[in-house]
Amino acid sequence: MIRSAFASFVITAVLLVLVVGIVLVPIALSLPDPLAVLDTFVFGPFRNPRHTGNIVEMATPAMMCGLAVAVMFRAGMFNLGVEGAFFLGGLATVATVLLVPLPAFAMAPVGILVGAVVGSSVCAVPGYLRARYEASELVSSLMLNFAALFIGLFVVNYFLRDPAAGAMVSFRIPAEAKLPKLIAGTRIHLGTLVALAACGLGAVYLFMSRAGFEARIVGSNPSFAAHLGLPIRSILLRSQVIGGLIAAGAGGIEMLGLYQRFSWQSLPGNGWTGVVVAILARDNPILLIPAALFLSYLQVGGDLIARNFDVPSEAVGLIQALVLVVVTAQAIMRNPRLIRLVTGKKPAAGQAQDTKAVEGSVA
Amino acid sequence: MTDRPLIAFAGISKTYGNGTLALDDVSFAIRPGVIHAVCGENGAGKSTLMKILFGLEQPTSGSILLDGEAVAIPSPRIAAEKGIGMVHQHFSLVPSLSVSENIVLGQEPRRGAFLDRVAARRRVEELSRRYNLAVDPDATVRTLSVAAQQKVEILKALSRDVRVLILDEPTAVLTPPETDELFDRLRDMRAAGLTILFISHKLREVRALASHVTVLRAGKLAGDAPLAAIDDEAIARLVMGQAAGPALKRGGRVSGTPRVVVSGVHLKARDANDRLEGIDLTVHAGEILGVAGVDGSGQRGLVSLLTGRAQPTTGAITYEGKPTAGLGTAALRRLGLAHLPADRFQDGGSKRMTLVENAIAGAHRLAAFSTGPFLKRRAMETRTEEMIVHYKVRCPGPNAPLSALSGGNAQKLIAAREFATEPHFMIADQPTRGIDVAAAAFLHERLAELAAKGGAVLLITADLDELLTLSDRIVILYAGRIVARLENEPGLTPERLGPYMLGLESAA
Amino acid sequence: MTDFDLASLITFIPAILRVTTPILLAALGVLISERAGVLNIGVEGMMLTGAFAGVVVSAATGSASLGFLAALIAGGLLGALLSFAVHVLKSDLILSGIALNMAAAAGTTLLLFMLTGDKGMSGSLSSKVLPHLTVPVIAGIPVLGTLLSGHHILTYAAFLAVPGVGLFLMRTPMGLRLRAVGENPESAAIAGINVRRVQIGALVTSGVFAGAAGAFLSMGYVSWFSQNMSAGRGFIALAAEVMGHGSASGTMFASLLLGLAEAASIALQGAGLPSELMQTVPYLVPVIALVVHARRRQRQLARA
Repeated sequence: MIRSAFASFVITAVLLVLVVGIVLVPIALSLPDPLAVLDTFVFGPFRNPRHTGNIVEMATPAMMCGLAVAVMFRAGMFNLGVEGAFFLGGLATVATVLLVPLPAFAMAPVGILVGAVVGSSVCAVPGYLRARYEASELVSSLMLNFAALFIGLFVVNYFLRDPAAGAMVSFRIPAEAKLPKLIAGTRIHLGTLVALAACGLGAVYLFMSRAGFEARIVGSNPSFAAHLGLPIRSILLRSQVIGGLIAAGAGGIEMLGLYQRFSWQSLPGNGWTGVVVAILARDNPILLIPAALFLSYLQVGGDLIARNFDVPSEAVGLIQALVLVVVTAQAIMRNPRLIRLVTGKKPAAGQAQDTKAVEGSVA
Repeated sequence: MTDRPLIAFAGISKTYGNGTLALDDVSFAIRPGVIHAVCGENGAGKSTLMKILFGLEQPTSGSILLDGEAVAIPSPRIAAEKGIGMVHQHFSLVPSLSVSENIVLGQEPRRGAFLDRVAARRRVEELSRRYNLAVDPDATVRTLSVAAQQKVEILKALSRDVRVLILDEPTAVLTPPETDELFDRLRDMRAAGLTILFISHKLREVRALASHVTVLRAGKLAGDAPLAAIDDEAIARLVMGQAAGPALKRGGRVSGTPRVVVSGVHLKARDANDRLEGIDLTVHAGEILGVAGVDGSGQRGLVSLLTGRAQPTTGAITYEGKPTAGLGTAALRRLGLAHLPADRFQDGGSKRMTLVENAIAGAHRLAAFSTGPFLKRRAMETRTEEMIVHYKVRCPGPNAPLSALSGGNAQKLIAAREFATEPHFMIADQPTRGIDVAAAAFLHERLAELAAKGGAVLLITADLDELLTLSDRIVILYAGRIVARLENEPGLTPERLGPYMLGLESAA
Repeated sequence: MTDFDLASLITFIPAILRVTTPILLAALGVLISERAGVLNIGVEGMMLTGAFAGVVVSAATGSASLGFLAALIAGGLLGALLSFAVHVLKSDLILSGIALNMAAAAGTTLLLFMLTGDKGMSGSLSSKVLPHLTVPVIAGIPVLGTLLSGHHILTYAAFLAVPGVGLFLMRTPMGLRLRAVGENPESAAIAGINVRRVQIGALVTSGVFAGAAGAFLSMGYVSWFSQNMSAGRGFIALAAEVMGHGSASGTMFASLLLGLAEAASIALQGAGLPSELMQTVPYLVPVIALVVHARRRQRQLARA
């Protein structure tokens, strides 16, 4: 087991370097000074503490969205509502601190809690429809993401909009509601600690608690869960409510940690990043932390070259897409020859069987 | 007819990616125009060898000679071109397509850009007439009985101008009379010049049908002889590798009070094979009640009712006198139900999870394995290690995935979990299907032991030898009804069960 | 119903057909992929790329037809790419589809910037528009003319493709093989069918349909491409296919229903209702339809 985990780690690392290279090198070559572009992308994020801080700031929502995805995927639910939950959670948090008279100390916790509950509906409703009616959670969560976006924009436009600001943005978030900064010279805030703790708790939930064990049984084989008499529907619903709460809470934390006003005009994309992070971490809550940091490092590098050279930062989106494909690529990750190359030994029995099964050979 | 072999296997070996040696240097020849039996226990390599001949698997080394020439068979399509057809153990039909669509699939008659459905139907009718196998070309395959699906499967193989027809355990799903009919058709085909490769582990059938037998054991060629030159004991020795053990002794069991009573139960199900129409049966403490019947006679419906996965449309079930209406699996398990499911990897466990997780699942909320909301991983592991030792589960370790285990060892681990609750009522559904003799014997002992200790056991099995070895009483299901109730007395034979299983006779 | 209402309803129908067109084209593509057992989640990204390719090539060549052809080819190529990820790299189908959507959103923005220096709009490219068709004779008849004539050429194509796809799936040897592959790939392989080739073909075809849907977005009524202009229509198409129970006609009726919802939301925005709330309607209707469908299925199971 340990050997194959090691092989998988090495292969993943090599793949990531290759993927970054495949996207970045051609773009760099199309510009006047390719070496400077690569240098800025690779080393830039570490030259300035503020930029290094950016990595941690961006990793914070990525970790939590990744955790939300991992909790649902582990229960076998392909619920993609994380994107909408994050958006709606951020909005409901801002709406709460703006509209509800609260004492200063209660603003952030109450705001984030309300945001988490309201935003979680984007994951919980598809979860309920799946548990109650067996309606595909994949399709309904994709739809509700967009419904959440437009409902959110309606709320901003009609209830939160600051007429003095030029664009369609909310009033300023009160300073008392903001999450405290942790490190001077960066924007790293309390939310990062919350995210790290959430990943730790996520690992405890999935691997050390009865509820998490039951969710993993349902996720890995629902017929087995039925055979044991587990309450499948409530386990499915519970997993998706937990996922929604985490994702929506992340949206609230993001708003109170980094933003002056609610200014999202479209879905911010953090949920999709969460999917990539979760897949890269193989749905393991502890591995979410390095996975989120790595993807954020790429994003900061991408933003730096966008700022210093004439390139949009969208190149990073291409990298993310490729990461998603290659780390789930059985032909690469489970390739016996590659595993042998890394470990110098034959692959474990179970691994090889899995590869066979995936290749769809006729049994 | 010449003496030159039609097919010759020359030094065929097959090693799977996980290191399992499925075939080890197997060589033998098949003459044209005969019925040639290939015998061996489950896992002896029979199916693998046939898959290699049919192009579904590739040999690691060795070659196949067809008409004396070495040939490569990389896919079923190439096998078909060379005149090799196969009737699969688990049929290769597409359930939502019609009989004729299934048969012409891959070589469809066309009219312009469209499928010529008239020609397709005609082709099926011709085949059906030529081989005396009656089917309805327009029926949807899903609605057909297992025996009818097998006919379609055979016609599909024959529709490709085959010279060699492989049948992989074709009688496993048939009743004795259906088996007789199949054998008559196979003899007709041989008379028409076809060469037939008949895979079986039932000596009686091999003796009745074939003229030559090849025996495989643990991937190696154990023996190869004309049937006229070898007696049954010799074949059995080749198959088993040693003298077969004595049959399990029944007796020493006293039936006690009624434990599970099913009265007047009807079940309406979407699948006609699961329907029940007025079932009355009682399982007493301390007895094994055997349930016989052709696949799809209502067994699945009965199991889903008794395990709480469905509720009877009418009628009632009681456990130890208490009505179970409305209770689900969890509640029934609390009353003392345990269940060895027919499909062990589908329902009995999770391949991707570890042995510990598979062994403790269901019991994980007991105080022994959890404190508050948390699991005691150490205690779970210790308990699993005990199960592995006690049930002789061969495995790399308690934290290996279930997928690393063979079928027999996985079934032993699942049995360890189900027996661990000291059940009052055990449903054993095809408990030893497809597993090795030693593991099967071990599980038979456990079931007998449970009954001897006062447990009630419902044994559902297609293996009539197993049924007759273990049961105290036998009920036979046909089309959702009980058609016979028999005491399992010494003189009872599989042949006597046959007419009931096919619904030709009724004694209830 | 008063005469006035009837008249406004008739004038409303072309609007419904207009918004239904891209949904229907994409949904037929999803249908083909789904029946082959390879549900195309990447349809959103394929539409977006098709829309982009149509604008760029028609601007470069000055020809609307070449632009349309480029949109079809771009969709087909992405179908092949998705198939490469699934069949060669053996990546997860759904995740690869999501990745394709991410890559298409990023890639079109990147290329747009490289070509025009603008990230948001293709305003500086003078791209072409595909024509409308006037059906002779019928165009002159009062009500029938409004209903049947004067629509966009791709609207006719989309509705004519419905029986085309239906006949292909149910009545041709290729369609039979495709359905067999989707339902039971092992059996299809044993029958000598090359499962991988059928699925590759289905994904490429699915991409071509999505490309056509994309071309309608950027070349149907407007002559520009904007960042992320598919705006979730691919996902609506996905929902339409699911609602259509795997048949071409069912997919068409579901697409019309969703098109009606979208057209109504556009019309009601004009009536002074909050436009944001109206925009949620096309996304909520599929969810409701899924639940209705699922409940009916559950009731049927319960009754059986």
